[in-house]
Amino acid sequence: MSISAAHEGVAAIRRRRPLRLETRLAPLIWVGPAMALIVVVVIWPVVIMIKTAFQHISPDGFILGWAGWRNFVFLWQEPDLPGILLRTCIWVATVVVGTMLISLALSQLFNQKFPGRRIARWALIAPWAASVMMTSIVFRWALDPNNGIINVVLHDLGLLQRFNSDASDWLGTPDRAFAWMIVVAIFVSVPFSTYALLAGLQSIPSDVYEAARVDGAGTWRTYLTITLPLLRPAFIVALLINVMNVFNSFPIIWEMTRGGPGHETSTTTTFMYQLKESYIGESAAMSVVNFGLVVIIVLLYLRATVWNREAA
Amino acid sequence: MDAVVPATDHVIVRKIEDPPRRRRRWPIHTLIYAGLAYIVATIFLLPYVEMIISAVRPANEMLDRNFLPSHFDVSSFLNIWSTGFGHNLRISLEVAGGSTILVLLVAIPAAYYTARQRFRGRAFFMLLVLVTQMFQPTAMLVGIYREFLSFGMIDTVSSLILVNAGFNMAFAVWILNAYFSAIPQELEEAAFIDGSTRLGALFRITLPLALPGIVTALIFTFIAAWNEFIVALTLTTSQAAEPLTVTLNSYIGQYQVDWRHLFAGSVIATIPVIILFALIEGKVVGGLTAGSIK
Amino acid sequence: MRIARRPLALAGASAALALSFALAGPVSARADTVLNLVAADYGTGPSDTSQAYWQKIADAFHAANPSITVKVQTVNWNDFDTKIQTMVQNRQYPDITEGDYFANYAQEGLLYKTDQVLSDPGNLMPAFKKLGSYQGAQYGMPFTTSSRAFFYNKKLFSQAGIAAPPKTWDELMTDAGKIEKLGKIGYGMPLGPEEAQAETLLWFLGNGGGYQTADGKWDINSPQNVQTMEFMTKLVKAGDTEPNPGTKNRAVILEQFAQGQVGMLNGLTALIPIIKQAGVLTSSDWGTAAIVGKNGPLNTTLGVCDFMAAFKTDGSKQAAIKKFLDFALQDQYQVAFAEEYNLLPGTTSGAAAFAKADPQLAPFIQALPNAVQYPNSPVWAQVKTQIQQIIGTAIGPHPKAVLDTIQQTALKGS
Repeated sequence: MSISAAHEGVAAIRRRRPLRLETRLAPLIWVGPAMALIVVVVIWPVVIMIKTAFQHISPDGFILGWAGWRNFVFLWQEPDLPGILLRTCIWVATVVVGTMLISLALSQLFNQKFPGRRIARWALIAPWAASVMMTSIVFRWALDPNNGIINVVLHDLGLLQRFNSDASDWLGTPDRAFAWMIVVAIFVSVPFSTYALLAGLQSIPSDVYEAARVDGAGTWRTYLTITLPLLRPAFIVALLINVMNVFNSFPIIWEMTRGGPGHETSTTTTFMYQLKESYIGESAAMSVVNFGLVVIIVLLYLRATVWNREAA
Repeated sequence: MDAVVPATDHVIVRKIEDPPRRRRRWPIHTLIYAGLAYIVATIFLLPYVEMIISAVRPANEMLDRNFLPSHFDVSSFLNIWSTGFGHNLRISLEVAGGSTILVLLVAIPAAYYTARQRFRGRAFFMLLVLVTQMFQPTAMLVGIYREFLSFGMIDTVSSLILVNAGFNMAFAVWILNAYFSAIPQELEEAAFIDGSTRLGALFRITLPLALPGIVTALIFTFIAAWNEFIVALTLTTSQAAEPLTVTLNSYIGQYQVDWRHLFAGSVIATIPVIILFALIEGKVVGGLTAGSIK
Repeated sequence: MRIARRPLALAGASAALALSFALAGPVSARADTVLNLVAADYGTGPSDTSQAYWQKIADAFHAANPSITVKVQTVNWNDFDTKIQTMVQNRQYPDITEGDYFANYAQEGLLYKTDQVLSDPGNLMPAFKKLGSYQGAQYGMPFTTSSRAFFYNKKLFSQAGIAAPPKTWDELMTDAGKIEKLGKIGYGMPLGPEEAQAETLLWFLGNGGGYQTADGKWDINSPQNVQTMEFMTKLVKAGDTEPNPGTKNRAVILEQFAQGQVGMLNGLTALIPIIKQAGVLTSSDWGTAAIVGKNGPLNTTLGVCDFMAAFKTDGSKQAAIKKFLDFALQDQYQVAFAEEYNLLPGTTSGAAAFAKADPQLAPFIQALPNAVQYPNSPVWAQVKTQIQQIIGTAIGPHPKAVLDTIQQTALKGS
């Protein structure tokens, strides 16, 4: 079947030329453009990036020669690097865990039937549809120590004594700024994850639940023994996509603190961007490290999806 | 054809069924769910409400400590057009529209062919797609920047279209592949018997059936490109080529943060996208099922 | 016809050339010279973008010199350095820039000397000559200047029962404390990444310090400077400033002053239009005074200057550039620019004309010749970036360590 179909397909395009060549060229015609786009936009930059990491480049972008491993050594000697690496791990872990837990709960809630469900779901979509950069700016604005709406609320509730105090300056100290940025990151990640889990929930056939009910399983037990295991493929995919998004997240930190004070709220992604301004080679070295981490995550993803297929 | 559409809807899209419009009293737990859901929904909308309120604050009440200003001043929505904002809005449309078209042009044939054919390199291609689906431009910014520098394509709309298309194509291929695979080949074979060519069958039978998937891929790509920030920030150097996200960012200026225009611009850029997304809300779920789980 | 043309067309004849033929049409024998001008945008809102200012000059110039077209492109100030940098990296040199950041390009031999592209280089304000020079030759043409002054909110001062602006650091701290009691910010100290190097230098000057010694040696971690940071820390810890100054950018603080939320700050003339735009303070609600020093007001201030520079590209446009610069730096345009943006002119004759036109700003102009400037060194760009990034962390228990780090960057070189 497949050969005759290929013949038909190619024939349609090539108007009956010799068969063997066509069969060989067919994949190139159908898949080639997509392949080319991936190579030019995704693969080639990786090559250039790795090359740049070993070059000595002036801040104006003039290539001054090869640098060997010097860019990596400079990077390694950055006094702030250990903190940045640790923070990146905390960032990814807390945001992803927080997102997935909240999304599990919300997907259950929004899977229930209730009046106005559609409108409620629309509202949930807003942070997903809006640019993360704009959402971040609104949060920064709402957290302003002088007049941010969040401080106004806290002040009205009697929880905040004075404006422009340290207590009102949520983004002024590294720990609290970082905590708020985690909140924002969860806020913008939850909609996608909730929808992904919602999709997973809806792919669970209802007769499974019928069977559970017949067996007399309680709600909670049904959830643990039936829903969660069946939700696992969707959960893992959403989890990994989140890990990726959160690791690469730039606008939240950039708009809310620019990684400051110092580099005390930077992750490797924003640090790489800041290095790019004056030390391109070192920035490329940071990128290569980031990319290495990305590759590891991708390998995990591949394992997970293979596992999916085996489970299914 | 009409007969087939509901079938695929059922098979692939798993359209969310709204509660039937019947007059009856809702049980108490349903009302609790509803209440909770409304609270959650409100929380998710609040930042955007604050965005709108701040955009219509009068200039001299910008830093007032209150929920609502004494009156609304919509002048920021009117003045913003004289900054060239309209031009950047058009750039954003070009970038998002261009990437979407490019993605569909390359993704549809690739997804269709991989769904229907076994060929040498198919596994490699699908693996590449799977891998690039996980890649984001952020991690390889330096490489992208230097590549387009060497092409002489810094500060061009086409470079933004290429990058956005390149990084969003994988998802489109993946989701479309799932849709095409789910469409029974027998339907196309029937068309062959009627004398259609493969291309004819693709256009007459398969594409219409896969329309929900195409729409989902289309909107996902459009929104991703529309909201993209860091690549545009890196690859553009002038207002002439920068999309809205970068323009809005520049309202945080040297001497002054132009909050009113920043928020007015954000509202203008955001509301249509939320509406667009809401329109396909039901399909989003189906799209995600097809795209990431199968 | 196509064949007849062929011998003339070199192998590399580009589409651009073809296009310019098409545009010029058969009538014009010589091709138009196009000058690309890239300027920083000084506008604070939709209505006053610098694009309009330059376009007007470009149009007037084109009317007078029909063979030369000036293409104007303005760039947001925050992005100016990076954008010029990108253009240079991209080898798409602008012909003329207006903004800052040229020392590196002079070093790399990409720029014309001022006397190559200006008929009367002597008219450029001499106070900024050194800053615009590299190895004795001047490349940067002062275009617009600005000096800092101490701004205070008279309304808040009278509410807090303060009669006159402070003269010493101790007075400043006492006054800031009183204003802070009103629920406002006493002293606005923008040490965030945007412009921290200016605020820092003004404080250093108040204690007889600076970034460099008089003979141009880096002196960032000097004992005076450490002492200065210690006082600033005291001020911050007392709650007399906005919280965590290291994370607050100038734009935000200026906006807050304009909205009546800040008692005093070191400001610049550009603050005046922001105050007007906000519409909260009337012109009698605020005043200016000399920068406050440790033991008394300073007779000097920080003067900054933005420069024009001309790129050589292929060297063919020198005459056209000279024509345009002579035209653009006329007094009328210098005054128009200063008036539009509440800045000061960059030429001597322009400044004289402006002092006559706007007597309110004459004191700022008189302070210019004494102004202290940023170090003139190729390393400055990197030192500045580092100050912007980490000076906020010097507000704390270990100012010396932070200043040491910056000093090391300065000594390490680029």
